[in-house]
Parts: sequence; structure tokens; C-alpha cells
Amino acid sequence: MQPLLQIQDLNLTVDGKPLVTDLSFSIAAGERLGLIGESGSGKSLTAMAATGLLPRAITATGAVTLGGQQVIGAPERVLNGLRGTVAAFVFQEPLTALDPLLRVAQQVAEPLRRRARRDGHELAGSALQREVLALLEQVALPQPERIARSYPNEISGGQRQRVAIAMALACQPQLLIADEPTTALDVTTQAEILKLLDGLVRERGMALLFISHDLPVVAEIVERVVVMQRGVAVETGPVREVFGAPQHDYTRALVVAAKAFDGALEGTA
Amino acid sequence: MSAVAATAPRARGSLTLWLGLLLVGLHIAVALLTLVWLPYDPAALTGGRLTPPSWEHWAGTDRLGRDFFTQIMIGSRIALIVGISAVAIGGLIGVTLGVLAAFATRLLDDALAATLDILIAFPTLLIAMLVVAASDTASLGTAVLALGIALSAIVARLTRILAKRVLLMDYITAARTSGTSWLGIVFQHVLPNIWPTLSVNFALQFGLAVIAEASLSYLGLGAPPPNASWGRLLQEAQGTVYTAPIGAIAPGIALVSLVIGVNLLADGLRDIGDPTRRGSR
Ligand SMILES: Nc1ncnc2c1ncn2[C@@H]1O[C@H](COP(=O)(O)OP(=O)(O)O)[C@@H](O)[C@H]1O
Ligand SMILES: [Mg+2]
Repeated sequence: MQPLLQIQDLNLTVDGKPLVTDLSFSIAAGERLGLIGESGSGKSLTAMAATGLLPRAITATGAVTLGGQQVIGAPERVLNGLRGTVAAFVFQEPLTALDPLLRVAQQVAEPLRRRARRDGHELAGSALQREVLALLEQVALPQPERIARSYPNEISGGQRQRVAIAMALACQPQLLIADEPTTALDVTTQAEILKLLDGLVRERGMALLFISHDLPVVAEIVERVVVMQRGVAVETGPVREVFGAPQHDYTRALVVAAKAFDGALEGTA
Repeated sequence: MSAVAATAPRARGSLTLWLGLLLVGLHIAVALLTLVWLPYDPAALTGGRLTPPSWEHWAGTDRLGRDFFTQIMIGSRIALIVGISAVAIGGLIGVTLGVLAAFATRLLDDALAATLDILIAFPTLLIAMLVVAASDTASLGTAVLALGIALSAIVARLTRILAKRVLLMDYITAARTSGTSWLGIVFQHVLPNIWPTLSVNFALQFGLAVIAEASLSYLGLGAPPPNASWGRLLQEAQGTVYTAPIGAIAPGIALVSLVIGVNLLADGLRDIGDPTRRGSR
């Protein structure tokens, strides 16, 4: 069977300067893959390239197939059809993930309605409201009715991130792309959101592309990792192998740093 | 302490709003009144020439003996028509161009941005004068159209910058990944989010348009005589500013009160319209 997302020899450049070089990996349906690397290593751009959302300034070559459709060079109309059903995003910044001028209920309702229309039926009125509340409950938001009526600035960062996850789920995507979804949150909230994502992805059999610069976070939620450094994949493989016996210097440094951090935590405990 | 911090901006916001409402409401009321009732026939010679303000003539009479207050009232109507129409024309053209530029390919966007910068380098009044001069009849319509076109460049540049900033937000990318069309993004996310800033700018443009129309009339390029534009009243008062200063003071006060009122109103409305400013934190 063809993988859900296949990236083959992807090269991204801006004004001739390479940002991502000869990157290849694939994600099968239901598979969970981690993309790990320091800030600026090209992780977000890779995710954008996978869904055809690259900024105009950036040139892409290579092959990206999402849900069996070639993405690079595809017209916006084709991509639009693909995006609503195949992939959905959760981002790093809970502050900019939601439109500040729309109530939570309106923001969650929009992808729900569009998804329903694609499946050939209209969703509106109280049926739509019920679906919105059901989704807010699935992402474990307390008092979903109150949250549904709130504006984004009236709820916490962790709650906003849960709403963003609900919006992504509303699309019923086969692939969820989470770009550092916990980086901007405090440690406790971080753990809660990770647990939530993990549960939701398993429950629904969704594939997951999880992007992070934080090794322990990635190790917790994915099966396979791609380690990136300055736009190049330096190591790929199952989480246990890559982090248990790192082959590349950069991966080794990441593992050592994570262990040192854990050690420091235990030392103070 | 926090209670004080939370209520202070709201109190200030509502004072701004009420003052703005009062001033603008007054002008609108007067403008509507002129449609059905005027103290005197604006063309009738009702008293002595250049008489000072009195109980019969609140703002005195002009050099032909016509009631000056009647003309100021008609001026309110003209100023409102000019301001609203010019902003409507400028806003429609400007917002459309600005949004298109924000979505356009890099090359088209650069070209549009450069054109707008050049247009904006010329003063609004100068562009308006050129448009009026190019059309052979001076009428209120030409003046309004000219001002609208001149303003559209300013609106377009602002819209383009604001829209680009909104387009960088994650919720736009999320909307695009969930399959929202670009028109959907414009109407659902971009326009509402740039509206608070844009509407305050529209108020500024309204003021600019009213002042520019007064200047055009002052230069004899605005509405022709039966229309008592404040600019024309000011021009007519020029020769008699020492003997009958009310002729310059009254239209001046009318003009300033309308321009300030609209700006206060816009500021106040922005504060209630924007959930992030409603002091809920
Ligand atoms: N629109 C853009 N134009 C030019 N360069 C960009 C753009 N977006 C990102 N970059 C560059 O591409 C590199 C990779 O960025 P990104 O994928 O966001 O990194 P990561 O997500 O791994 O932190 C960075 O060096 C960044 O400066
Ligand atoms: Mg990133």
C-alpha cells in the first residue's frame, strides 16, 4: 500500500540558499513519526512543503505525495481538496493558533461544517452546536459550554491548544501534523497535551507527524524518528534504536543533553 | 489596584465614545434637519449686511445680507456627504487593491506597492485638484470622486500591510489546511481582523476628505455656489475677517468639531468592538 505521506529528495531553497537538502521519509497510514532537530533546522518548512503551504519566497523541488496526490506544483484547487480531508495542523503558538475575534464555538464549527459538506451533508444549527460541544469534550476541556462562548483571550494557553486540536480533529484528517504543539506551554500542561494527543491519535488510528526540538517529548509519542540538522536528515530509524545507539554525532549530542537534563532533575529531587 | 486598572481604560473609552457620538450626532441631526427645515431661505436677503450675531441671526449675516447660520447648517450636510462618499469610494477601491496585493504573487505585489508609494508621495489635495482640473465641470460629484481616488492609495497601502500581517498567523494556515478558500479567508479572518485599525483610519480619512473638500472649495474647485460648503464660506469671509470675524470662526468651529467628533467616535467604537480590548484580563 502506498504511504499516506511520501517525501522523496525534497530540496527547499530561498534565493538559491539551501534550507532543506535531499530529505526523504514517508509516513504510512496510522504511523507516528517524529521530526526532531534544533530550531531553524527546517522542520516547519518540511511540514509546510508536505501540505503545499510553503511561503512564496521558497522554491521546492523533489517529490511530495500526500494521499496519493503530488503536492509540489499542484494547483491550489487540488491542494484545497486534499487539505480538508488528508492532513490537519496543530501549531506551536497557542496565541496565534486561534482568530482573536471569533468565539471558540465559531472557530470549531467552521471546519466541522466544511467537513460535513464534503461528505455530502449540511451541518447547521443545533446539530452543529452539539458536534462542537462533543469535540470540545473529546479534547478534555472543562466546562465546554463556557469555553465555547469564550473568545481566545479569555482562556488559558493550554485550553487554546486544546481548542486548536479540536479544530484539527474536526477535519477528521488521516494525518495530524503537530508542529511543536507543546513548546510554548508550561511543563505540566505540556504533559497533559501530549497525553491527549497520544490518546486521540491511537483511538482514531490517525497518522502523526510530530515536530519537536525536545528529544524526551518526541520519544514519548512516536514510533520512528528523523533527526534533522541544518536541513539535512542525519539519522532515521525506530525511536529505541536511534536514541539507544545513536550513530551520528548530532544525535549523540542530543541524547547526552537530554540525559544530563534528566540527571539534573533527579539530582535536585 | 487591579480593579482600578481594569476600569480606567473602559471609562476613558466610553468618554471618548460619548463625546464623539455627541459631536457627530449633532452634525447628523443638523444635516437631516436641513432637508426639511431651515431658519431662513439660504438665498434670501434677510437683514443688513455683515451684521454681528443676534437673536434673529445666530451667526450674523454675510456681505449680501443672507443668514449665515443657515449656510453653516447646509455646510454640515455637504461635509457629511463629502466625507462619507469619499471614504466609501476610497475604502472600496483601497481595501480591494490592498487585499489583492497581499494575496498576489511577489512580482505583482511589489509593482502595486511601488505604485502606491509613488501615489502617496503626492499630497491628497494635489491629486484631487488634478482630477478636478481634468474634468471640465466643477461639481460636488467630481470633488468627491477625486478625493475618493486620492484616499484609496492610502487605504490600499495600509490594507496591504495589515492583511499581510494577519496572513502570517497560524490560524490562517490552519484555515487553509482545513480547506478554506482564499475568499473565505478574506471575509472570515482578514477583513474582521484588520477592521478595527482600518475603521479608525477611515475616520482619519473622513476628516482628511472634509478638510480637503473645504480646501478645494476655498480654491474655487469644489461645489459651485448654491452649495454652501464651509470651505467656500471661509473663502468669502477672507476679505472681511477683521470687520466680521464670525464669518471665519463659525465655519472653522463647525469643521473642526465634525473632524474631531468622527475621530473620537471611531476610537470609542474600536474599543467596544474588539474583544481583546474589552478588559477581560
Ligand atoms: N519565509 C521564509 N523565507 C526565507 N527563509 C525562511 C522562511 N521561513 C523560514 N526560513 C528559514 O528556513 C530555515 C528553517 O526554518 P524552519 O523550518 O522554520 O525551522 P524549524 O521549524 O526547524 O525551527 C530557517 O533558517 C529560517 O530562517
Ligand atoms: Mg518550527
